Amino acid sequence: MSGEALLDLGDRAVASLSHGEAEVIISETRSELTRFAGNEIHQSVAERFRHVRVRLIDAGRTGVGEVRGHDDRAITLAFEAAEDSRRVTAESDVSPLPAPTPGDGDEPVAFAEATAEATPLGRAELVSIITDAAAAHQVNAYGALSTTTTTTAIVTSAGLRRSATATQASLVAVARGDDGGGYASRHSADIDALDVPGLASEVVDTCERNQGATTIGPGDYEVILSPYAVTDLLEHLAWGGFSALAVQEHRSFMRFGEKLMSDMITIRDDARTNEIFPFPFDDEGVSTRPVTMIDRGVCSAVVYDMPTALHDAIASTGHSLPQPNTWGPLPRHVAMDAGDTPWRDMAASVSRGLYITRFWYVRDVHPLRTVITGMTREGTFLIENGSITRPVKDLRFTQSIVEALASVVQVSRERRLELGEGESGVLSPWLHIGRFSFTS
Amino acid sequence: MRDLSERALDAASAAGASYADCRIINSRVQRLTVKNGVVASVEVFEDEGIGIRVIAGGAWGFAGVDDLSPASIEEAARHAVSIAKASSRVNRTPVRLAPAPALVGEFRTPVVRDPFEVSLDDKVNLLMRTDEAMSHLAQIRVRECSLEFGREIKHFASSDGARLDQTIIESGGGMDATATSDDEVQTRSFPNSFGRHQVRAGWEAIEAFDLPGNAGRIAEEAVALLTAAECPAGTMTVILDATQAALQVHESCGHPTELDRVLGHEAAYAGTSFLTPDLLGTFRYGSEQVTMTADSTRAPGLGTFGWDDEGVAAQRSVLVDRGLFTGYLSSRETAAAIGQVSNGCMRADGWGRLPIIRMTNINLEPGTSSLEEMIATTEHGVYLETNRSWSIDDRRLNFQFGTQNGWEIVDGKRVRLVRNPIYSGQTPEFWGSCDAVAGPAEWQMFGVVNCGKGQPSQLMHVGHGAAPCRFRNVRVEPAR
Repeated sequence: MSGEALLDLGDRAVASLSHGEAEVIISETRSELTRFAGNEIHQSVAERFRHVRVRLIDAGRTGVGEVRGHDDRAITLAFEAAEDSRRVTAESDVSPLPAPTPGDGDEPVAFAEATAEATPLGRAELVSIITDAAAAHQVNAYGALSTTTTTTAIVTSAGLRRSATATQASLVAVARGDDGGGYASRHSADIDALDVPGLASEVVDTCERNQGATTIGPGDYEVILSPYAVTDLLEHLAWGGFSALAVQEHRSFMRFGEKLMSDMITIRDDARTNEIFPFPFDDEGVSTRPVTMIDRGVCSAVVYDMPTALHDAIASTGHSLPQPNTWGPLPRHVAMDAGDTPWRDMAASVSRGLYITRFWYVRDVHPLRTVITGMTREGTFLIENGSITRPVKDLRFTQSIVEALASVVQVSRERRLELGEGESGVLSPWLHIGRFSFTS
Repeated sequence: MRDLSERALDAASAAGASYADCRIINSRVQRLTVKNGVVASVEVFEDEGIGIRVIAGGAWGFAGVDDLSPASIEEAARHAVSIAKASSRVNRTPVRLAPAPALVGEFRTPVVRDPFEVSLDDKVNLLMRTDEAMSHLAQIRVRECSLEFGREIKHFASSDGARLDQTIIESGGGMDATATSDDEVQTRSFPNSFGRHQVRAGWEAIEAFDLPGNAGRIAEEAVALLTAAECPAGTMTVILDATQAALQVHESCGHPTELDRVLGHEAAYAGTSFLTPDLLGTFRYGSEQVTMTADSTRAPGLGTFGWDDEGVAAQRSVLVDRGLFTGYLSSRETAAAIGQVSNGCMRADGWGRLPIIRMTNINLEPGTSSLEEMIATTEHGVYLETNRSWSIDDRRLNFQFGTQNGWEIVDGKRVRLVRNPIYSGQTPEFWGSCDAVAGPAEWQMFGVVNCGKGQPSQLMHVGHGAAPCRFRNVRVEPAR
């Protein structure tokens, strides 16, 4: 269904409301994914569904009903479930449904017809570019190519009425030889814009350079992190620190006005840039405004939804997850500003350090101190006297993100769009960091 | 449901599938959350759809759709076949399945009281009493408690003739108390972290948790951690409580025994495994104290069912037998690759996702010791409770875990509470250093409700029976 058709469904649902207020979110998703292992396609899947979420508010009580499937009964079932749950909640300070604002609808949205029309055969042919390249170098390729189209419509009894259709194409690949592997990924709204030959070349090259890694001891090293690794740092800052709720609950590292990081570090959230899957509104239907969280190293701002904005008596920045929730707002279009060093020149100033392709299984150890732990994976290289010299075995790091970003030496002028573990787009540069702690 | 599944199988066969199966699922989830004295949310989630899996041209195809009209189901079946045929143009090796009998039957989770027959008012009342009991200490900044209930009605049919009906019921609940000071944040959880403890059982499980009765203690422990000493650093004895032992089993035994990881199917995402087939039956995974099983017949674990999602019956397998690595978690396809038959570990996250190998109930079998005896016979070490952070490498060897709190043990006694403990090691060396596991009286079934794997990502509920256990010469330190 088109966005306008989903809006019509939402209009009819809201019109049936006899009392109180209502928010109806209807989304339709078509997602397909082709997965490969050992240079063959071993899983290829398709999924199609409509999801209806109804939030009812009346006399300070809120209830939510969600339904997937159930054909034409879905909206009715969702309303019934929402009313059942609303009935048992206690009266509380419910944040109001946002009103529509002038100019809504002018923002860009990530969409490409080629992604929406992608076929299993087309994906198989793109995958074969990677598997053929791997086979030509006597290594094996593993990975997944996905294409997703989602139409989202939000209608409320307060008069808000918005919809958008977005696409996403994502390709991740690992190449493995006898004694080591490489990793590469590419993401875009447009499957035709994915640089598949470039990815194939990168992943095979990293794999071939990463054979026969030797052990080096743990300790503090100067590092160059690729955008794949930087994305993990930015995502964990976003989850733990850039939310107004985390600040209100004293769980965030953010100390406004204080300079905690290098003045080379500026971190923004920008849902309007074409570089990070632009999308016009959040899950309350509020336009998502650009927010600069870290401005040249200084803690500057956090993102808001309606409840946290009500608490601080300001306007929402449009970063809500579906309401009500206990997680708070979340920036989902995070970008670190580029620097001026070509990434290929960054190793030149490192006398002894490590080049890290990617991290793996990164988890919070102490959120207030932004301490995380994780492993390096598929491409850890020793830098000696300004050059990458040889692969080393994977290491575990345990490191404060804020302290790492305080010791940044260089930021690359190139950036890459990556998907974090939470599957939000993150625009990351390469970073040269003065000290990074590896523990085993 | 049966008419619809026959239609799906017929359509797949007519389109050229040499094998097909389908799962029609209707599910209902109810979630209630109370935060800081307010009912933060009451949500009801209803879901219905069909997933159709086929082999055509020697390759797999899968399509899921939420529209259960006959035309939609037939279209999905044809799409699954077209996907398989597209893949077959790239592939050289046809799919081969280990033999499995085509079974017919019904299974229902045994419950004393169906949680969906308990009123929402009673559930909210329980949470409000829990919240109130956590509310008496000023340093508690965030109080959150929740309940979650699930019911899944599933019909499985295959072109081999299997016809299976299952009704699975889950009940879960838990609480978090977060205390803050100017320079510290500490959280305590009960009965487990990650929001809740969940089992395949009815309302009786929630009553047994006794959330209100434990809430005051949990709040006091969170506040005490604000000023507790940092965990000592060094190589020392570690005793894990049953919840942390369960997660240790999950990460360092459950995942590396997944045969799809071993064969490279997850190499691009979840990773591979150090437990390669050449080690089967010969590799010393742990000490004589360590026996681990996969047991989908063991109630009330989250991996308890009648049949897995390709129709293989629930069963018990030994993965580690008194320290020796002896078995994998497998599917019909992966088992065939190593000359075995499936031990029934294919599970899917709903109708819309392809079944992949998942843990069932992966258990550390009880030993003969007790927590009291382990502490009394420890010269210097720490007793660690309730997971806070977890990380392990892609082959499941190098791990680091943190827990919410610890107790320093000196000369057989708990001497002081310590905060921010983390411990780390290598899987075989760690389990090789296990010298005691508590007995059946302290053995309990826990679970993980957020086990992620697969592309597209799938979350699975898996069970872990475990008891307190002790390890020697472990690296311990505070999170700095």
